[in-house]
Amino acid sequence: MASISISASLHRACSSHHPINKQQPQARTARSLGSKLVTHVVTLNVEGQRGVGTAEQQEKPALYTDSPKKSNDQSENGLETEPPVPKFIDERWKKGTWDLNLFVRDGKMDWDGLIEAEAKRRKILELYPDASTNEDPVLFRSSIIPWWAWLKRSYLPEAELLNGRAAMVGFFAAYIVDGLTGVDMVGQTGNFICKAGLFVTVFGIILSRRIEDFKNLRKLVDEATFYDKQWQASWKDQNAPNTGASDKIMNKM
Amino acid sequence: MTSSIAFKSFTGLRHSSLEHPKVLHSHTTSISPLTYRRFRITASKSTPKLQNRNLRVAVIGGGPAGGSAAETLAKGGIETYLIERKMDNCKPCGGAIPLCMVGEFDLPLDIIDRRVTKMKMISPSNVAVDIGQTLKPHEYIGMVRREVLDAYLRERASNNGAKVINGLFLKMDIPKKGSENINGPYVLHYTEYDEKKGAVGEKRTLEVDAVIGADGANSRVAKSIGAGDYDYAIAFQERIKIPNDKMVYYENLAEMYVGDDVSPDFYGWVFPKCDHVAVGTGTVTHKGDIKKFQLATRKRAKDKILGGKIIRVEAHPIPEHPRPRRLLGRVALVGDAAGYVTKCSGEGIYFAAKSGRMCAEAIVEGSENGKRMVDESDLRKYLEKWDKTYWPTYKVLDVLQKVFYRSNPAREAFVEMCADEYVQKMTFDSYLYKRVAPGNPLEDLKLAVNSIGSLVRANALRREMDKISV
Ligand SMILES: Cc1cc2nc3c(=O)[nH]c(=O)nc-3n(C[C@H](O)[C@H](O)[C@H](O)COP(=O)(O)OP(=O)(O)OC[C@H]3O[C@@H](n4cnc5c(N)ncnc54)[C@H](O)[C@@H]3O)c2cc1C
Repeated sequence: MASISISASLHRACSSHHPINKQQPQARTARSLGSKLVTHVVTLNVEGQRGVGTAEQQEKPALYTDSPKKSNDQSENGLETEPPVPKFIDERWKKGTWDLNLFVRDGKMDWDGLIEAEAKRRKILELYPDASTNEDPVLFRSSIIPWWAWLKRSYLPEAELLNGRAAMVGFFAAYIVDGLTGVDMVGQTGNFICKAGLFVTVFGIILSRRIEDFKNLRKLVDEATFYDKQWQASWKDQNAPNTGASDKIMNKM
Repeated sequence: MTSSIAFKSFTGLRHSSLEHPKVLHSHTTSISPLTYRRFRITASKSTPKLQNRNLRVAVIGGGPAGGSAAETLAKGGIETYLIERKMDNCKPCGGAIPLCMVGEFDLPLDIIDRRVTKMKMISPSNVAVDIGQTLKPHEYIGMVRREVLDAYLRERASNNGAKVINGLFLKMDIPKKGSENINGPYVLHYTEYDEKKGAVGEKRTLEVDAVIGADGANSRVAKSIGAGDYDYAIAFQERIKIPNDKMVYYENLAEMYVGDDVSPDFYGWVFPKCDHVAVGTGTVTHKGDIKKFQLATRKRAKDKILGGKIIRVEAHPIPEHPRPRRLLGRVALVGDAAGYVTKCSGEGIYFAAKSGRMCAEAIVEGSENGKRMVDESDLRKYLEKWDKTYWPTYKVLDVLQKVFYRSNPAREAFVEMCADEYVQKMTFDSYLYKRVAPGNPLEDLKLAVNSIGSLVRANALRREMDKISV
């Protein structure tokens, strides 16, 4: 029973996932989801009811320490003698991914619970970084969580917008530069303006949502052009022409 | 079987490398009149012809930059001196070189210890993504030992007629300003080492017409021309001999770890070497904590290097950007001395070798194969060409580093993106061949949206993480 409801919600997840993530290359989505489905079928078979049972109890991830932590970090050559550290353990984390079956509540997928659980896992790993192993690879990808699950709890405040925009600025810059690399500027101009136009549009849409963010943008631009200034220093004491059109464009940004 | 395939493709590369210089030349001549017309007027036909001798140029430093500069100079009919302080110098370095370097510099296959075809990127939450699925059968990242590569390039310079001197460059006398001195020689002071004279060495001087400073991050040539400083990263690396069964995994695979634990602004790496692995990390912002980061890198790779023995520990600065001055009079800087390491990937061998060659080409051309004196404007052509050719590459990598190495959520997003085949193809193409394949606008747009999606998710999780106390 549980398994049916889950695959249903999974399907929903996949399809509702599409509007925002349609850009995800087909092959990859298929692959990661495919393997996820396989693993969850396996876990179901192995420990069907027990798994569902724990979901209700909302097991907390435990911080597990083998023995009192005594830092002995100076052991330069001590590849073998590592100090014992707390390890991340959670009942719902199996074979490198979250067992989605255990996140089902009232026949529905509890995405919020999943987000919280993953946040907790990352937090613990950040505090106590763990070895990455080949025997036990992490298969979980946050992209399996549908976009509305992120929106619903208003996970999208300023900081994220800013970061998204940083990516945009970066991407835009990279894009201009791509167009210029190894290519004769003049011959490429037409094509290049098209590309630039495309990005300005996208960029504009994201940008114009908030005007007060303008200051942030200024900061970003300063940051983005700092490197340009470092490079241009060699041309300062000379009246020689500049490095080329590319950095003038960068500066205008 | 694989080796035979690779060999064929390699001879293919050789052929193309022979044609390469020609292609480059036609490229420059077609561009420079347009872009640099103003500058052309001052070109150096005014410099005098040399009597009874050829142009003399000294190259300081025998790394990839110096070796390739000296070879090009010697081939171009210039009386070339290459001064290297330590002939068996084993520069602390990961030793990863792009495929195009093998072809462009005609490197023999036996100096490449390993061919990496798989790169694993590992995020702070240990999500590991294999990049390299898009590689074609003959494509790989070469792993070399620097003492081998450097010695090989120096030997080739020597075979072409460069005089290789084992000596420590100390300082130089710059010809005084004044019209009668305008073409006066630079006098280099150095200590020559020689088996007969013992380890102490002997003070010597050498008069030359121009100097190429290829003496690395702590360049004395840079100091002599008041080139100014650059920000630098400190890179730390341990050579670890791991058990044979563990080595199998690193046969043709390299790992990159990202996360605040391994470096706040760079990455930690495990690179396969001839019979061991190099484990290292670097940082600009938290140099004092480098040991801690190294420990963290080792820890993240723990299972895979278990039972390993550290056979060597090394550290070295990596320049972050070019020096404020890269050229003065007839002295030019190349490679690390100039500051040509990329952000994000920390790559410098190829750029060192290329800049050495480009600078030497400018001198050969300006002196009409050693027959004329050169002046600053001749050397400046190298700078122009360099910045024009590679500035975009540096800029892209700077942007990538700023966006994706800034925080753990950004790194998670970065690793997530690297699973995308299009991203892999683009990054590998640009790394291996140092040219950017024309992207597909639609794919590019998808990628942009995708990366924002990844960043948003990673940041949302970060927000949740901040709420949790462990
Ligand atoms: C830990 C680490 C890992 C790295 N990994 C990679 C990598 O994987 N791939 C990559 O592409 N780049 C890597 N780099 C960067 C790369 O090592 C450098 O960019 C590259 O070596 C620059 O070459 P160069 O010829 O300019 O200078 P160098 O290689 O530093 O050579 C300078 C030479 O000059 C000699 N010299 C110095 N002073 C004098 C003097 N006064 N008189 C005479 N001789 C002198 C030195 O002995 C040396 O041989 C790494 C750097 C570090 C520190």
